[in-house]
Amino acid sequence: MLSPKRIKFRKMFKGRTTGVARRGNTVAFGHFGLQSLEPGWISNRQIEAARIAMTRFIKRGGKVWIRIFPDKPITKKPAETRMGKGKGSPEGWVAVVKPGRMLFELEGVTRETAERALALASAKLSVKTKFVVREEAHTDAGE
Amino acid sequence: MSTATLSATLRSESGKGAARALRRAGSVPAVIYGHKREPMSLSIVTRELERLLERVAAGSTVVELSIDGKVSRTIIREIQKHPFKKQLVHVDFQELVAGEKITVSIPLIIVGTSVGVRSSGGVLDQTLRELEVSVDPSSIPNHIDVDVSALDVGDSVHVRDLTLPEGITVITDADASVVVVAAPKVNATDAAADAAAASAEPEVLRAKKLADDAK
Repeated sequence: MLSPKRIKFRKMFKGRTTGVARRGNTVAFGHFGLQSLEPGWISNRQIEAARIAMTRFIKRGGKVWIRIFPDKPITKKPAETRMGKGKGSPEGWVAVVKPGRMLFELEGVTRETAERALALASAKLSVKTKFVVREEAHTDAGE
Repeated sequence: MSTATLSATLRSESGKGAARALRRAGSVPAVIYGHKREPMSLSIVTRELERLLERVAAGSTVVELSIDGKVSRTIIREIQKHPFKKQLVHVDFQELVAGEKITVSIPLIIVGTSVGVRSSGGVLDQTLRELEVSVDPSSIPNHIDVDVSALDVGDSVHVRDLTLPEGITVITDADASVVVVAAPKVNATDAAADAAAASAEPEVLRAKKLADDAK
Protein backbone atom coordinates (compact mmCIF):
# COMPACT_ATOMS: atom_id res chain seq x y z
CA MET A 1 0.00 0.00 0.00
CA LEU A 2 1.11 3.55 -0.66
CA SER A 3 2.44 5.62 2.24
CA PRO A 4 5.12 8.29 2.67
CA LYS A 5 8.69 7.19 3.40
CA ARG A 6 9.59 10.25 5.46
CA ILE A 7 7.31 12.78 7.14
CA LYS A 8 7.88 16.04 8.98
CA PHE A 9 5.12 15.59 11.57
CA ARG A 10 3.29 12.44 12.76
CA LYS A 11 -0.15 14.03 13.05
CA MET A 12 -1.99 16.56 10.93
CA PHE A 13 -5.03 18.84 11.33
CA LYS A 14 -8.22 17.70 9.65
CA GLY A 15 -8.40 20.66 7.25
CA ARG A 16 -11.23 21.69 4.95
CA THR A 17 -11.65 20.66 1.33
CA THR A 18 -13.03 23.56 -0.67
CA GLY A 19 -12.92 24.51 -4.33
CA VAL A 20 -12.00 22.39 -7.32
CA ALA A 21 -8.77 20.72 -8.44
CA ARG A 22 -6.73 23.36 -10.25
CA ARG A 23 -3.91 20.94 -11.00
CA GLY A 24 -3.89 17.26 -11.89
CA ASN A 25 -7.31 17.57 -13.54
CA THR A 26 -6.46 16.36 -17.06
CA VAL A 27 -5.56 13.00 -18.59
CA ALA A 28 -1.80 13.51 -18.68
CA PHE A 29 -0.17 10.08 -19.10
CA GLY A 30 -2.63 7.50 -20.40
CA HIS A 31 -5.57 7.58 -22.77
CA PHE A 32 -8.45 6.99 -20.35
CA GLY A 33 -8.98 8.35 -16.86
CA LEU A 34 -11.17 8.30 -13.77
CA GLN A 35 -12.00 11.79 -12.54
CA SER A 36 -13.38 12.72 -9.14
CA LEU A 37 -16.65 14.68 -9.09
CA GLU A 38 -16.78 15.50 -5.38
CA PRO A 39 -14.34 16.28 -2.58
CA GLY A 40 -13.24 13.64 -0.12
CA TRP A 41 -10.49 11.57 1.45
CA ILE A 42 -9.32 8.43 -0.31
CA SER A 43 -7.38 6.01 1.88
CA ASN A 44 -4.35 4.02 0.80
CA ARG A 45 -6.44 0.85 1.26
CA GLN A 46 -9.05 2.15 -1.18
CA ILE A 47 -6.34 3.10 -3.69
CA GLU A 48 -4.82 -0.38 -3.39
CA ALA A 49 -8.21 -2.10 -3.72
CA ALA A 50 -8.99 -0.01 -6.82
CA ARG A 51 -5.57 -0.78 -8.34
CA ILE A 52 -5.98 -4.52 -7.78
CA ALA A 53 -9.53 -4.47 -9.22
CA MET A 54 -8.25 -2.70 -12.34
CA THR A 55 -5.14 -4.76 -12.93
CA ARG A 56 -7.00 -8.05 -12.39
CA PHE A 57 -9.60 -7.04 -14.93
CA ILE A 58 -7.20 -5.91 -17.64
CA LYS A 59 -5.00 -9.00 -16.92
CA ARG A 60 -1.95 -8.41 -19.07
CA GLY A 61 -1.15 -5.55 -21.38
CA GLY A 62 -2.17 -2.07 -20.51
CA LYS A 63 -0.58 0.37 -18.11
CA VAL A 64 -2.05 1.97 -15.00
CA TRP A 65 -1.12 5.31 -13.47
CA ILE A 66 -2.16 6.29 -9.93
CA ARG A 67 -2.41 10.08 -9.92
CA ILE A 68 -3.06 10.55 -6.19
CA PHE A 69 -0.83 9.85 -3.21
CA PRO A 70 -2.01 9.31 0.39
CA ASP A 71 0.25 11.75 2.24
CA LYS A 72 -2.11 12.84 5.04
CA PRO A 73 -1.93 10.85 8.32
CA ILE A 74 -5.26 9.97 9.95
CA THR A 75 -5.44 9.43 13.68
CA LYS A 76 -7.91 7.39 15.69
CA LYS A 77 -8.66 7.12 19.40
CA PRO A 78 -8.79 3.60 20.86
CA ALA A 79 -12.24 2.04 21.43
CA GLU A 80 -14.06 2.78 24.71
CA THR A 81 -11.83 5.75 25.51
CA ARG A 82 -13.20 8.91 27.11
CA MET A 83 -12.83 12.14 25.18
CA GLY A 84 -9.80 14.32 25.80
CA LYS A 85 -6.30 13.20 26.81
CA GLY A 86 -4.87 14.35 23.54
CA LYS A 87 -5.14 13.40 19.89
CA GLY A 88 -5.28 9.72 18.96
CA SER A 89 -2.48 7.73 17.36
CA PRO A 90 -1.88 7.59 13.57
CA GLU A 91 -3.89 4.77 12.04
CA GLY A 92 -3.66 5.28 8.29
CA TRP A 93 -3.04 7.52 5.31
CA VAL A 94 -5.40 9.36 2.98
CA ALA A 95 -5.17 11.43 -0.20
CA VAL A 96 -7.17 14.66 -0.14
CA VAL A 97 -9.20 14.82 -3.33
CA LYS A 98 -11.02 17.80 -4.81
CA PRO A 99 -13.64 17.70 -7.60
CA GLY A 100 -11.95 17.37 -10.98
CA ARG A 101 -8.91 15.49 -9.70
CA MET A 102 -7.74 12.70 -12.02
CA LEU A 103 -7.48 9.62 -9.82
CA PHE A 104 -6.31 6.87 -12.18
CA GLU A 105 -5.24 6.65 -15.81
CA LEU A 106 -5.08 3.71 -18.20
CA GLU A 107 -3.40 3.04 -21.52
CA GLY A 108 -2.93 0.10 -23.87
CA VAL A 109 -6.48 -1.26 -23.56
CA THR A 110 -9.68 -0.82 -25.56
CA ARG A 111 -12.29 1.73 -24.55
CA GLU A 112 -14.71 -1.00 -23.39
CA THR A 113 -12.06 -2.65 -21.21
CA ALA A 114 -10.99 0.70 -19.77
CA GLU A 115 -14.60 1.66 -18.99
CA ARG A 116 -15.26 -1.61 -17.16
CA ALA A 117 -11.90 -1.61 -15.34
CA LEU A 118 -12.36 1.96 -14.14
CA ALA A 119 -15.97 1.21 -13.08
CA LEU A 120 -14.61 -1.61 -10.88
CA ALA A 121 -12.03 0.80 -9.47
CA SER A 122 -14.70 3.45 -8.88
CA ALA A 123 -16.72 0.99 -6.80
CA LYS A 124 -13.83 0.84 -4.29
CA LEU A 125 -13.72 4.61 -3.79
CA SER A 126 -15.65 6.94 -1.50
CA VAL A 127 -16.17 9.73 -4.06
CA LYS A 128 -18.38 9.98 -7.14
CA THR A 129 -16.35 9.68 -10.32
CA LYS A 130 -16.66 9.85 -14.08
CA PHE A 131 -14.88 8.10 -16.93
CA VAL A 132 -12.96 10.47 -19.18
CA VAL A 133 -11.06 10.06 -22.44
CA ARG A 134 -8.05 12.13 -23.49
CA GLU A 135 -9.05 14.92 -25.84
CA GLU A 136 -7.98 13.61 -29.22
CA ALA A 137 -6.10 15.78 -31.65
CA HIS A 138 -8.25 16.44 -34.71
CA THR A 139 -6.65 15.31 -37.92
CA ASP A 140 -9.23 16.55 -40.38
CA ALA A 141 -8.83 19.75 -42.33
CA GLY A 142 -10.99 22.73 -41.45
CA GLU A 143 -13.09 24.70 -43.86
CA MET B 1 -2.60 24.04 -42.89
CA SER B 2 -6.28 24.41 -42.23
CA THR B 3 -8.26 27.57 -41.73
CA ALA B 4 -11.56 28.30 -40.07
CA THR B 5 -13.73 31.36 -39.56
CA LEU B 6 -15.28 32.69 -36.38
CA SER B 7 -17.04 35.89 -35.43
CA ALA B 8 -16.51 37.85 -32.23
CA THR B 9 -17.71 41.08 -30.71
CA LEU B 10 -15.78 43.64 -28.70
CA ARG B 11 -16.33 43.52 -24.95
CA SER B 12 -16.01 46.63 -22.80
CA GLU B 13 -16.58 45.16 -19.34
CA SER B 14 -14.01 42.99 -17.63
CA GLY B 15 -13.66 41.21 -14.29
CA LYS B 16 -15.18 38.02 -12.92
CA GLY B 17 -18.69 39.45 -12.45
CA ALA B 18 -18.94 40.59 -16.05
CA ALA B 19 -17.31 37.37 -17.30
CA ARG B 20 -19.77 35.22 -15.37
CA ALA B 21 -22.72 37.25 -16.66
CA LEU B 22 -21.37 36.76 -20.18
CA ARG B 23 -21.11 32.99 -19.71
CA ARG B 24 -24.66 32.85 -18.33
CA ALA B 25 -25.81 34.68 -21.45
CA GLY B 26 -24.27 31.98 -23.69
CA SER B 27 -20.96 33.59 -24.62
CA VAL B 28 -17.32 32.97 -23.78
CA PRO B 29 -14.94 35.79 -22.82
CA ALA B 30 -11.89 35.95 -25.07
CA VAL B 31 -8.87 38.12 -25.76
CA ILE B 32 -6.84 38.88 -28.87
CA TYR B 33 -3.23 39.98 -28.69
CA GLY B 34 -0.19 39.87 -30.88
CA HIS B 35 2.76 41.59 -32.39
CA LYS B 36 2.43 45.42 -32.39
CA ARG B 37 -1.21 45.52 -31.33
CA GLU B 38 -3.01 46.41 -28.14
CA PRO B 39 -4.80 43.46 -26.50
CA MET B 40 -8.58 43.61 -27.00
CA SER B 41 -11.27 41.92 -24.90
CA LEU B 42 -13.78 39.96 -26.95
CA SER B 43 -16.83 37.78 -26.53
CA ILE B 44 -17.70 34.77 -28.67
CA VAL B 45 -20.96 32.83 -28.88
CA THR B 46 -20.27 29.57 -27.01
CA ARG B 47 -22.14 27.34 -29.46
CA GLU B 48 -20.17 28.66 -32.46
CA LEU B 49 -16.86 28.15 -30.67
CA GLU B 50 -17.81 24.61 -29.59
CA ARG B 51 -18.75 23.72 -33.18
CA LEU B 52 -15.40 25.03 -34.39
CA LEU B 53 -13.43 23.11 -31.76
CA GLU B 54 -15.26 19.87 -32.64
CA ARG B 55 -14.03 20.17 -36.25
CA VAL B 56 -10.45 21.41 -36.09
CA ALA B 57 -7.21 21.02 -34.13
CA ALA B 58 -7.25 24.21 -32.09
CA GLY B 59 -3.50 24.62 -31.70
CA SER B 60 -2.59 24.31 -35.37
CA THR B 61 -5.50 25.94 -37.21
CA VAL B 62 -5.47 29.49 -38.49
CA VAL B 63 -8.71 31.15 -37.40
CA GLU B 64 -9.97 34.10 -39.42
CA LEU B 65 -11.55 36.04 -36.60
CA SER B 66 -14.11 38.63 -37.61
CA ILE B 67 -14.28 41.29 -34.89
CA ASP B 68 -17.30 43.51 -35.57
CA GLY B 69 -16.71 43.03 -39.32
CA LYS B 70 -12.92 43.47 -39.34
CA VAL B 71 -11.09 40.20 -40.12
CA SER B 72 -7.84 39.20 -38.39
CA ARG B 73 -5.79 36.07 -39.03
CA THR B 74 -5.23 34.45 -35.64
CA ILE B 75 -4.29 31.24 -33.92
CA ILE B 76 -5.84 29.91 -30.70
CA ARG B 77 -3.15 30.18 -28.02
CA GLU B 78 -5.02 28.93 -24.98
CA ILE B 79 -8.39 27.42 -24.15
CA GLN B 80 -9.39 27.46 -20.48
CA LYS B 81 -11.97 24.87 -19.48
CA HIS B 82 -13.77 24.02 -16.25
CA PRO B 83 -11.90 21.23 -14.43
CA PHE B 84 -14.71 18.69 -14.82
CA LYS B 85 -17.72 20.28 -16.51
CA LYS B 86 -17.78 20.60 -20.27
CA GLN B 87 -17.70 24.37 -20.05
CA LEU B 88 -15.42 26.77 -21.91
CA VAL B 89 -14.16 29.48 -19.57
CA HIS B 90 -11.88 31.68 -21.70
CA VAL B 91 -10.04 31.69 -25.03
CA ASP B 92 -6.84 33.47 -26.11
CA PHE B 93 -6.23 34.39 -29.76
CA GLN B 94 -2.84 35.50 -31.08
CA GLU B 95 -2.82 37.61 -34.22
CA LEU B 96 -0.53 36.34 -36.96
CA VAL B 97 1.81 38.58 -38.92
CA ALA B 98 2.71 37.53 -42.47
CA GLY B 99 6.31 36.35 -42.75
CA GLU B 100 6.82 36.15 -38.99
CA LYS B 101 7.38 32.65 -37.62
CA ILE B 102 5.36 31.50 -34.63
CA THR B 103 5.80 28.74 -32.07
CA VAL B 104 3.02 26.16 -32.09
CA SER B 105 2.43 22.68 -30.70
CA ILE B 106 1.62 20.13 -33.40
CA PRO B 107 -0.18 16.92 -32.37
CA LEU B 108 1.77 13.68 -32.92
CA ILE B 109 -0.46 10.93 -34.33
CA ILE B 110 0.46 7.25 -34.01
CA VAL B 111 0.18 5.34 -37.29
CA GLY B 112 0.07 1.54 -37.54
CA THR B 113 0.30 -1.23 -34.94
CA SER B 114 3.74 -2.11 -33.66
CA VAL B 115 5.19 -5.61 -34.01
CA GLY B 116 5.96 -5.70 -30.27
CA VAL B 117 2.32 -5.05 -29.34
CA ARG B 118 0.88 -7.42 -31.96
CA SER B 119 3.11 -10.45 -31.41
CA SER B 120 4.87 -10.05 -28.03
CA GLY B 121 2.12 -8.46 -25.94
CA GLY B 122 4.09 -5.24 -25.34
CA VAL B 123 2.45 -1.98 -24.30
CA LEU B 124 2.75 1.07 -26.55
CA ASP B 125 3.49 4.07 -24.33
CA GLN B 126 3.29 7.47 -26.01
CA THR B 127 5.41 9.80 -23.89
CA LEU B 128 5.21 12.86 -26.14
CA ARG B 129 1.83 13.91 -27.56
CA GLU B 130 2.71 17.27 -29.08
CA LEU B 131 5.79 18.63 -30.80
CA GLU B 132 6.74 22.26 -30.25
CA VAL B 133 7.90 23.80 -33.52
CA SER B 134 8.70 27.17 -35.02
CA VAL B 135 6.90 27.58 -38.33
CA ASP B 136 5.54 30.12 -40.79
CA PRO B 137 1.79 30.64 -40.16
CA SER B 138 1.03 29.78 -43.81
CA SER B 139 2.45 26.27 -43.51
CA ILE B 140 1.36 24.94 -40.12
CA PRO B 141 0.82 21.15 -40.47
CA ASN B 142 -2.38 19.73 -38.93
CA HIS B 143 -0.49 16.83 -37.39
CA ILE B 144 2.74 14.85 -37.64
CA ASP B 145 2.49 11.09 -38.18
CA VAL B 146 4.62 8.70 -36.13
CA ASP B 147 4.94 5.29 -37.81
CA VAL B 148 5.29 2.61 -35.11
CA SER B 149 4.69 -0.51 -37.22
CA ALA B 150 8.36 -1.61 -37.12
CA LEU B 151 8.80 -1.20 -33.34
CA ASP B 152 9.49 -4.30 -31.26
CA VAL B 153 9.49 -4.60 -27.45
CA GLY B 154 12.17 -2.27 -26.06
CA ASP B 155 12.30 -0.08 -29.18
CA SER B 156 11.48 3.61 -29.17
CA VAL B 157 11.06 6.56 -31.51
CA HIS B 158 12.79 9.84 -30.68
CA VAL B 159 12.10 13.36 -31.91
CA ARG B 160 15.17 13.18 -34.19
CA ASP B 161 13.66 10.13 -35.95
CA LEU B 162 10.48 11.94 -37.03
CA THR B 163 9.81 12.77 -40.66
CA LEU B 164 8.91 16.44 -40.72
CA PRO B 165 7.48 18.64 -43.49
CA GLU B 166 9.65 21.37 -45.07
CA GLY B 167 10.16 24.70 -43.27
CA ILE B 168 9.73 23.45 -39.73
CA THR B 169 12.24 24.06 -36.94
CA VAL B 170 11.79 21.74 -33.99
CA ILE B 171 12.07 23.37 -30.56
CA THR B 172 11.47 20.22 -28.50
CA ASP B 173 14.68 18.39 -27.47
CA ALA B 174 15.79 16.10 -30.33
CA ASP B 175 16.66 13.33 -27.84
CA ALA B 176 13.19 13.29 -26.25
CA SER B 177 11.38 9.99 -26.77
CA VAL B 178 8.00 10.01 -28.50
CA VAL B 179 6.88 6.38 -28.27
CA VAL B 180 8.23 3.39 -26.34
CA VAL B 181 7.09 -0.23 -26.64
CA ALA B 182 7.43 -1.55 -23.10
CA ALA B 183 7.44 -5.21 -22.02
CA PRO B 184 4.22 -6.34 -20.31
CA LYS B 185 4.43 -5.85 -16.54
CA VAL B 186 3.87 -8.76 -14.14
CA ASN B 187 1.55 -7.55 -11.39
CA ALA B 188 2.43 -10.13 -8.70
CA THR B 189 5.95 -8.80 -8.06
CA ASP B 190 4.61 -5.28 -8.02
CA ALA B 191 2.08 -6.10 -5.29
CA ALA B 192 4.70 -7.91 -3.17
CA ALA B 193 7.03 -4.90 -3.31
CA ASP B 194 4.18 -2.59 -2.29
CA ALA B 195 3.24 -4.84 0.64
CA ALA B 196 6.84 -4.80 1.89
CA ALA B 197 6.95 -1.02 1.66
CA ALA B 198 3.66 -0.62 3.53
CA SER B 199 4.88 -2.49 6.61
CA ALA B 200 7.61 0.07 7.28
CA GLU B 201 6.71 3.06 9.49
CA PRO B 202 7.65 6.42 7.97
CA GLU B 203 10.65 8.22 9.40
CA VAL B 204 9.65 11.41 11.27
CA LEU B 205 12.10 14.15 10.32
CA ARG B 206 11.12 16.42 13.20
CA ALA B 207 11.68 13.69 15.80
CA LYS B 208 15.16 13.13 14.42
CA LYS B 209 15.91 16.84 14.65
CA LEU B 210 14.67 17.03 18.25
CA ALA B 211 16.86 14.06 19.17
CA ASP B 212 19.85 15.80 17.59
CA ASP B 213 19.08 19.00 19.51
CA ALA B 214 18.86 17.09 22.81
CA LYS B 215 22.36 15.67 22.38
